[in-house]
Amino acid sequence: MNGTWIATIAALVLLLPLQGFAHHSAAQFNFTTPKPISGTVKEVRMANPHMRLVLTVTDEKGTRDIEYEGHSLNNLYRAGWRPDSVKVGDKITITIAPRKDGADGGYVTKVKMADGQEF
Amino acid sequence: MEERRTASLVSAWVAGEGKDGLLGLTRRLTPPGRALLAAALVAIALATAAAAKAADAAKPDFSGIWTVYRPPGAAAGPGRAETAFPRDPPFTAQAKAKIAEYRSLVEPLGLTPGGACVGYGMPSAMLSSGGYPMEWIQRPEQVTVIYEAHSEIRRIYIGGGPSERDVIPSRDGTSYGRWEGNTLVVETIGLKEAVDQSSAHSDQAKIVERYTMGKDDAGRKVLTAEMTMTDPAFYTKPVTATKRWLAVENGRLLPYDCTEPAWEDQLDKLREEKAAKAREQ
Repeated sequence: MNGTWIATIAALVLLLPLQGFAHHSAAQFNFTTPKPISGTVKEVRMANPHMRLVLTVTDEKGTRDIEYEGHSLNNLYRAGWRPDSVKVGDKITITIAPRKDGADGGYVTKVKMADGQEF
Repeated sequence: MEERRTASLVSAWVAGEGKDGLLGLTRRLTPPGRALLAAALVAIALATAAAAKAADAAKPDFSGIWTVYRPPGAAAGPGRAETAFPRDPPFTAQAKAKIAEYRSLVEPLGLTPGGACVGYGMPSAMLSSGGYPMEWIQRPEQVTVIYEAHSEIRRIYIGGGPSERDVIPSRDGTSYGRWEGNTLVVETIGLKEAVDQSSAHSDQAKIVERYTMGKDDAGRKVLTAEMTMTDPAFYTKPVTATKRWLAVENGRLLPYDCTEPAWEDQLDKLREEKAAKAREQ
């Protein structure tokens, strides 16, 4: 993954709360406290205006499926995502802006595949 | 109008059987005279067509893919919108009240038009469009602009378009273009009231964009639009903004399907309901 793209995405994400989301209010998510989450992909839907990702996650609260959302398909495509990048059953690590209300879920700001590929 | 009147007079003259009409005139001419007249008419037609073509060729062609302008050396990649529109616009009291009412509805839920797959609308489509690129397709009589986000489309009619009475109010309005030298001046009317964009406006809004093409210090092709929005119902004075784009050589727009997930969800729900009924029986 090209470092420039990652820097651009990071800059984009950092700027989003200032800009106001193109498609979403930033109010629900806390972008100042990024959090890594590891899990197994149960469902992935690349779409506009937001992608949806369901991960099976195991942590101190137990094992459960958690739904996340993230950037648009088109922005992820330009960041390097391709239709064969993420498949059901893949073990991945994502970075999220957690929900402000503390509930499961959040806004995906980075995806890291098992082979190290990032977007 | 003048062109239509001239065309109608010319066709009446060509069809005219009397001595003053073209048909009448040709009957009175000898064969060599007729040949000469025909040659003269062909020459005039060719010269007129050539002049029209030359005039079109002289207009700059903005066709291509354009993305949000970044200064030389800035990273490429998905862009964010330039904050061209004033941060604290001179809204009237009426505008402030309407915007506050709208925000009280959507902000607690984090809703936006884009989240509901609704396009930006003018002037936000031009000023922002979420930082996505646009495609400009230019013909002498019409410019078609496709903003990637929501595949939002504008048609700018040059020397034509619907009369004011025939305009259907819409989020992007109806746009009429004209050339002033190398500048394409676009006037947009027929906008619906929009309180759901940062450049909110009433249905009385008129937008003028002046497009010019040039190059930046790095020699890259840049398209610039100077925009003025006049809307006495929503603004105490006209608001202006400048937007710049950078040419993306050999670029392409991506499709932007947005409503499909909701349709797929609906189908999934119907399948679940059907399966549940089958289990009951």
